[in-house]
This record gives sequence, structure tokens and C-alpha cells, in this order.
Amino acid sequence: MSESSNLHRWRAIKNQIALVLSGAAALFGLFWLTWILWTTLSRGIGAINWALFTQMTPPPNEEGGLLNAFAGSAVMCLMAIAIGAPIGVAAGTYLAEYANFRKIGHTIRFVNDILLSAPSIVLGLFVYTLVVATTGQFSAIAGSIALALIVLPVVVRTTDDMLRLVPSQMREAALSLGVPQWKVTVQILYRGALGGIVTGVLLALARISGETAPLLFTAFSSQYWSLDLTQPMSNVPVVVFQYAASPYESWQQLAWAGAFMLTMFVLVLGICARLILLRNRIANE
Amino acid sequence: MSDLRLAVNAAAPATGEALTNKLVARKLGFRYGDTQALRDVSIDIPERRVTALIGPSGCGKSTLLRVFNRIYAIYPKQVADGEVLLDGENILGPKYPLSRLRSKIGMVFQKPVPFPMSIYENVAYAIRHHEKLTRTQMDERVEEALQQAALWTEVKDKLKRSALGLSGGQQQRLCIARAIALHPEVLLLDEPTSALDPIATGKIEQLVADLKARYTIVIVTHNMQQAARCSDFTAFMYLGELIEHGITEKMFTNPGKQQTEDYITGRFG
Amino acid sequence: MRYPRRTSARADRFFAGLVASAGYFVLFALAGAAISMFWGGREAITTFGFDFFTSSNWDVGAGQFGAAVAIFGTLVSATIAMLIAVPISFGIALFLTEVAPNWLRGPVAAAIELLAGIPSIIYGMWGLFVLAPYLGEHIYPWVNDNLGELPLIGALFQGPPIGIGLLTAGLVLAVMVIPFTSSVMREVFLTVPTRLKESAYALGSTKWEVAWDIVLPYTRTAVIGGVFLGLGRALGETMAVTFVIGNAYNISASLLEPGTSIASSIANEFAEAVDPLHKSALLALGFVLFVITFVVLSISRLMLRQLKRREGTV
Repeated sequence: MSESSNLHRWRAIKNQIALVLSGAAALFGLFWLTWILWTTLSRGIGAINWALFTQMTPPPNEEGGLLNAFAGSAVMCLMAIAIGAPIGVAAGTYLAEYANFRKIGHTIRFVNDILLSAPSIVLGLFVYTLVVATTGQFSAIAGSIALALIVLPVVVRTTDDMLRLVPSQMREAALSLGVPQWKVTVQILYRGALGGIVTGVLLALARISGETAPLLFTAFSSQYWSLDLTQPMSNVPVVVFQYAASPYESWQQLAWAGAFMLTMFVLVLGICARLILLRNRIANE
Repeated sequence: MSDLRLAVNAAAPATGEALTNKLVARKLGFRYGDTQALRDVSIDIPERRVTALIGPSGCGKSTLLRVFNRIYAIYPKQVADGEVLLDGENILGPKYPLSRLRSKIGMVFQKPVPFPMSIYENVAYAIRHHEKLTRTQMDERVEEALQQAALWTEVKDKLKRSALGLSGGQQQRLCIARAIALHPEVLLLDEPTSALDPIATGKIEQLVADLKARYTIVIVTHNMQQAARCSDFTAFMYLGELIEHGITEKMFTNPGKQQTEDYITGRFG
Repeated sequence: MRYPRRTSARADRFFAGLVASAGYFVLFALAGAAISMFWGGREAITTFGFDFFTSSNWDVGAGQFGAAVAIFGTLVSATIAMLIAVPISFGIALFLTEVAPNWLRGPVAAAIELLAGIPSIIYGMWGLFVLAPYLGEHIYPWVNDNLGELPLIGALFQGPPIGIGLLTAGLVLAVMVIPFTSSVMREVFLTVPTRLKESAYALGSTKWEVAWDIVLPYTRTAVIGGVFLGLGRALGETMAVTFVIGNAYNISASLLEPGTSIASSIANEFAEAVDPLHKSALLALGFVLFVITFVVLSISRLMLRQLKRREGTV
């Protein structure tokens, strides 16, 4: 047997080993993720019942639901979007349309990327000192602001990216017709980038809906039905956290139900966001 | 300079009317960052004629076009010096309002870029910014522009549909319609057919021939046959300088400079 | 009738000012977070001086606060996580870009990206209710008996097999970081120009050789950037860790012992901290976490940016 065919065989074997290992890594990774998903589904589905959506969070060992937590989460998430998304779209517009080639643009982009991956508990502490410490109490407003700070960088990034995808000839064509820049941005560029921006907002919503850490000491939580924005407000993640860590079986059940709902919500939003992107891409081609 | 003057005047009798210069560049320079893209360019663009700008890529022909309606101004670090006179007024001067400049000088780009809205809206959009028209006036205006751009018969039944559904050639004619709907005086075409197939290209060239009765047209092209086919005057540029400018026929049959001849006969670039 | 032009110029300026202030707000948000924690934590830092960072004594009742245990736990759990997550993520990314049949790539990649979005509290609950009991009953006793006696590394695996502790926290973090890191790596691998890979295949290279000799060298900087991005996540993660780390202020060589991390200390104690010095110490901890993650994330972004720059020129 010649030396070169030996070499060939060795290379082929090495290749086989590597491919099998990479496949195994993929299986290994998917195994854990499936396990987690399965745990959430199997334990969560059993805990879903009508009372979950019609009753308030109960004292230990009593029947109840998560109605106030769902309502509180909805209120705070929507407020966070209402605060964070417009600022994010505006800042993304600044980056893409006004500061694209300038130093300040690079700086803001860099800082925004840091903010995007910054630990959310740090943002919670920030809003605590900014709002809770000055007003003297936990409040839904503080919680919404903390969540808005998470929405902000996500929307900035997607708006910036999507606007920069619009070909520069589109801007030039509109400007060469004598239309002022702000109208070009609002009426033409936003239209082209709309799908992407909406996707960004949906992804941001998915992200904040399960965020626990920044709410722990801003919105805190509440056992009761309350829509008063200046008071602590119940919300799904914090309730899930408290109930899961509790020794009571009934609370743990509710925690799994909450976890199940969170997971479903996030998955459905994620799928919707991807569908919108996909439809946009097809429409553009 | 004097050569061109002679040439222009020589051309005048043939077309039966005296030529006036619509757009005049004097000692025009342009740079972005440290790159000098245009150097001491002086050129006269006669009214209601087609002037073609040719030259190898990077020679500054597109840059020159972009100076004429100051579209470069949206990018930082791009600076023009010298002057460009439109009907005798310097458009590079700080006092010349951009909005007026751009309603007088329309521009069409290499790739067709229809706005993400309906065919009708594409044409009506910019008009609305400059003039307040009634519904019927607007309808007439849109139809007139689409007629002039030779697109009306193809789209008159689907004005409400998205412009993104049109073919490349139709989109480019829509972009021309959009520009002429503002009743500009000058039309700048930046390699308008480079992204189109031969049939669509033929339609655009025919359109250019029709439009020159109303508009002063400057067309940048890398296709010398196109310059020969549809222009009255041709300017040859090289490395940011204007090498030669004259009647198209003469430029292609008997160029005055060696560089021009080399380029036209395909011996360089 | 023509619209007055001055109005449109003014509107233009107004709009530019509006979006610019939003842009500066981003800077304010990050700087504000850093300053507020530094300011809030100054009392603890002036009280304990440099000892705050080196002392392992955290006793709320006695008013003694040292950050060493929490910093230690943060670094150790994140390191364990990355040691596991990096090779697995590399394998997954390789599988999804070079190995898997085309019809499989899209769906699996999308599934992994979706899983990367699942709230971290879910990972924490799974860790507490499913993984920790399983490890405590089946795996850790074995680890104890078989690895605990080994020289040198044995000390890492001694102690009571109760299921929660630094190792469990590291494992949960690893599972949480895998979808994230593998998505980033996959995207990085996709930036390798096809012609580069095709020319290697044309020379008779195997898939592995293309991956190891072409794809990896081409993307090395960005891959490291992606790893640091995952590390930044693991360092700052709160909910996935808090459930399973044990929340005990002790430093032990054993990874099976309970410990604590910066984020979980803050999550557990901040809302209930009454003593101003305690609050201040927690804010100072937050500042430390901020600085650590800021450095890690900055490195990550600079390395990922290098890739973007090259993409622009190639």
C-alpha cells in the first residue's frame, strides 16, 4: 500500500470523526433544550385551568390564579414598549441617517451594543436609584422604565440596521426631488424599513415579557389586583420566581403554569417576528 | 474653450435655432476626504440638447452629475469649489435654496429605485411637496408625466398597485416620470440603462430623444454606442478632468485629442 | 402655490435635533447606570476600602461586607459554563453551516434561535426542579466517589452531593448560553465567502479541513468575540443562577458546595435590605458586575467589529 493512500485514508478518517463529533454536539445541545422545553410543557400544561385566568394570586395552599400578574405584566410591558420603542426608533434613525459616518455615531453604536447585552439586573439597580429611591416606593412606573431600558437598545439596533439596508439611492432619489430630509425619512425610509422595525419591537416585547431581574426591586410585586401605576404591581416573572422558590406545592404549580405561559408567549412572538421578516424578504425580491 | 464655442455655434444652424447655455460649470473642483475627484472642470451644457458624459470608471463623470443638483451635500466631507451657474445663478452658493434647485434639476439614478408605494403615489408624492393641487389637477399631472415617460399605456389600469411589481425597465421609466412630473428644466441621467436589458434600454433611449424637445438633458454613460446614438454633445473625462467636449459626431469620427481617440477606439481603460 | 421653504428647513432642523437627543439618550442610559451604582456604592467602598473587594466576610447582621465570595462565584460559574458551552456551540455551528444536509439547516438554526429567547427564569426553574435533584441523586455521588480521590483535581469534587452549588450553576448557565453562542458562531461562519471554501474543496480538502484550515482562521477574531459575548451573558445572568447556586457566602475549593454570585446576591437581598450600608454594598457589587461585563462586552464588540470591517472590503 502506498504512502499517499495511507495519508488519504487518515484524512478521511479524521474527517469522519470530526463530522460525527459535530453532529453529536448538535444533538447534545438540542437534547438539553428539548429537555427544558419538555419540562416546561409537561409540568405547565397540567397546571393550566380556567381559574388561572380568572382568579388572583392566592395565599399559600389555597386555590387561585394569576390574573393580576397577567394584567400587571401586560400593563408594564406595553408601557415599556410605549416608552422605549419611540426613543429607540428615533435613536436608530439618528445613527443611520445623521451620524452614520461620524465619530459620535460609532460611539453611540458601540455603547448601544454594550447596553444590548448588559446584565438586566444592573438596569434594575439603576432605575431603583433613579425612581424608587427618589419617590420612596416601588411602583409600576419604575418597572416599566426598567423594562424600557431593555427595549431601547433592541429597537435602536434593528432600526439602525433596517434603515441602513435601504439603498442609499432611495434617499438620493427622494432628496433629488426636493423633498426635505425628515419627510424622506418618515414617509419613505420608514415605509421600507417598517417590517424590520416591527420585528425589532416584537423581539423586544418577547425579551421583556420574561425579564425578572429588573422588576425585583422596581415594580416589586403585589398580591392584589392593582392597576395604580404609582404602586407596586404584580407581574408574571416575579410571581413565578417567588412561587417557584416557595415550599408550597400549590404555589409551585402556579409557578409552572406561569412559566408555561411565558414560554409559549415568547415562542409565538418569536415565530411571528420571523414570519414578518420572511414575508418582507420575499416581498423585496 | 474657444474650440467648443466654435463647435457649438457650428451646430446651431443645423438645428435651426440659436443655442443658449443652460448650465455652466466654471473651474469646478470636487473632493471627498483626501481624494480629489474633479479638477478644474469648465463645461457649458446647452439648453434642450442631450449632452453625454463619457470616460472610464472613476473618471468623475458621475461626480460631475452629482454636483449639478448638489446631491453630494447629504454626505459629510464632500466639498465642491468653483461655480456652477444655472441660468446665470451660482447654485453652489450658500444662498441658493436646495428645494428650488432640486425642483429645477431632476435626477434619475443607475438602478431604478421606486418608492415603496403605489405607482400613482410615486409620481404624485414629490409634486405634493412643491405644489398644492386639486385632485383632478393632480390626476392630470400624473397622467401627463407617465405619458411623457412612455409608461402610461402600460400602467393606466393599475395605478393603485405597488410600484415594486413593475419590471426593471418600467420602474426606470417611472423614475423618469417622477422626475419630470415636477416640470424640471434640466434632467440628469446617471447611467440610466446600466441595470436594464437591451429592449428596455432601447425604450429609454427613444424616450431621451423625445424628451429633449422640452428638457436639457445630461446623461452619464459607460456605453459609447449609447452616447453616439442619443447625444448631441459629448464630453470625455479622464482622471477628474475634462479632456475634450464637442459635437458628438465630431467626437466620434474625428476627436481632437489623442486620449479621446484612444478611449473611443477601445485602446485603454 | 409653493409651500414656504423656510418652514421645511425649520422642520428639518427640529427633526434632526429630536433624533439626535434620542441618540444621546442611549449614552445617558449606560453612563447613568454606571454612575448611579458607583454613587450608591460609595458608602460601602469608603467604609471598607480596598478590603471590600478582597474580604470574603459578608455578614448582614454584623454589618460586614466583603465582595470576594460573590466575585469568586460569578467568575467560577461563568468559567464552567464557557468551558462546556464553547466546544458544544462550535460543534453546533459547524454542523449547521458545513455538515448538516441543506433542508435541515434552516429549521434547526431557527429552533435554536427561538430557544435562545426563552426567559432565563425558565432555565433556573428547570435547574432547581429537574437538573439539581437528578445530579444530586445520580451524578454527584458518583463524581464524589470516583473523582474526589484524585490528586490535584480531587478537591474540586469533594463535599456533600446536595445537587445545588457552583457546578450546577455553571451547567445551567452553559445550557442557557449554548443556543446564544452557537447562533452567533453560525452567523460568523456564514460570512466566509463561498468562493474561498469552494476553492479549498476544489483542491480536494475534506469538510473538516475546510472548517479547520479555512473557516476558523478566517473568522477567528469574530469567533472569540462571540465567545466573549456569551461570557458577558453568563457573568451577568441572574435568574438562571439564583435558583441553583445555593446562595451561601463561602469560598470552597469544591465545585459541589453552594456559593453565590454577584447577580444572585443582589436579586436575593436588595429588595429586603434595610441597613443603608447593606444597600450600598449591594450597589457597589452591582458596580463591580457592571465593570466586569463592560470590559468583557467591549472586547467582544471590538473583535466582532473587526469582522464587519473586513466584510466591507472583501
